[in-house]
Amino acid sequence: MTDLLRKEMRLSASVLSYLFIAFGLMFLLPGYPVLCGAFFVSLGLFQSFQLAREANDIVFSVLLPVAKRDIVRGKYAFVCLIEGCALLLMALAVLLRMTVFSQAEVYRMNQMMNANGFALGMAFVIFGLFNWIFVGGFFKTAVKFARPFVGFVIACFLTIFAAEALHHIPGLERLNAFGTDALGLQLILLGAGILLFLLMTLLSGRRACERFEKIDL
Amino acid sequence: MVIAEVRDLVKKYPSFELKKNSFSLESGRITGFIGRNGAGKTTTIKAMLNMIHPDGGEVRYFGLPFLGHEAEIKKRIGYSTGTVSWYPRKKIRDLVEIARRFYDTWDEEAYRSYLRLFEIDETKTPLELSEGMKVKVNLILALAHRAEVLILDEPTSGLDPFSRSELLGLFTELRDRGVTVFFSTHIITDIEKCADDILYISRGRIAAALPKAEFVRQYSRDGERLEDTMLRLETEEGGAAHD
Repeated sequence: MTDLLRKEMRLSASVLSYLFIAFGLMFLLPGYPVLCGAFFVSLGLFQSFQLAREANDIVFSVLLPVAKRDIVRGKYAFVCLIEGCALLLMALAVLLRMTVFSQAEVYRMNQMMNANGFALGMAFVIFGLFNWIFVGGFFKTAVKFARPFVGFVIACFLTIFAAEALHHIPGLERLNAFGTDALGLQLILLGAGILLFLLMTLLSGRRACERFEKIDL
Repeated sequence: MVIAEVRDLVKKYPSFELKKNSFSLESGRITGFIGRNGAGKTTTIKAMLNMIHPDGGEVRYFGLPFLGHEAEIKKRIGYSTGTVSWYPRKKIRDLVEIARRFYDTWDEEAYRSYLRLFEIDETKTPLELSEGMKVKVNLILALAHRAEVLILDEPTSGLDPFSRSELLGLFTELRDRGVTVFFSTHIITDIEKCADDILYISRGRIAAALPKAEFVRQYSRDGERLEDTMLRLETEEGGAAHD
């Protein structure tokens, strides 16, 4: 798997996938829908899939001495690596906003959702949706990715819209907690986001392996 | 000794079908896989490499089914499906650097000697190479890990006569070292020059699988060259040759 991941990083990846990790720092922006950062990271990953398809990457991979299902696992490993790096930046921003900047006026006066545990959990959900809808959808054919990507974009912005809207609903204000307020709830929501990410990634990965086995290249 | 075996291979497309084909490759022999364009050579080879999903049948190497032992078998075989058509803007050196890590048996010395033999500049990208040179790069990747079997789809296509002759000489040399070579071609003189066995496919059906001398004895008329025999067989309705 290490060799396949190295192949993904050195041959298949677009440089934009690496550069767009920095959009994880959008979690520091006040007055901005911070979850758009997760969308931009996904956009960087989409560039890698586009580049890889034009470079006949799948055929090269199939000719390597690996099982076909390992090619799918290699792609998922690369995607999760990039997502993991972005999530680290996002987690760092959340920690800063929960501690050092917890009283900062610029964040307190923010009409958009606060970058807290709930927001981080929702970023996990968006990456889970990317893995499920886009990566899983790509491996239906290993060639076509327009429809899976449009599907992901719609799901992603609906999720962002819902996450931004929820704390405006009476009774759900605690979703927008600042600092260590409602810490238990924030951690539970973060955990739920991680769980959803894992479920969507693992289930779509397993299905993608089965589908890819039957694809004619 | 049988080193690769294809049993009852079926693949159905809307306008073409591989018809329950069976054949085997003997150790240390060169088998030429011949048939006209669209006869099913590439489909058969892709099925042998799990690049397409057959509708029936089984492929075995070294007595093991390919499915379930894909990675370990692929390490012991070398294969090439046409030209290098991947990563057009990456240097050959970078492609090889990645590929070599997958093989425990990568032979750097052999790799360097094939580079010299084929006069490949590894600092070039596939985009900068001619079609013939791309074929050679693909062959080097197949040859440089001490494969026990070589499966090559039209390796001589696009090569100039000198390179083709060198390559066919190389096949003979490899065969003498015990390597099994299986290559498809529609150039009959390639078969005449170096093949020990002939596998002839016509309209998706293996029409003959015989040692070359036996093939000539069974199908060639007096004074007829192999090329004329193949042309005659192919033009006869449905391909006249049968096992």
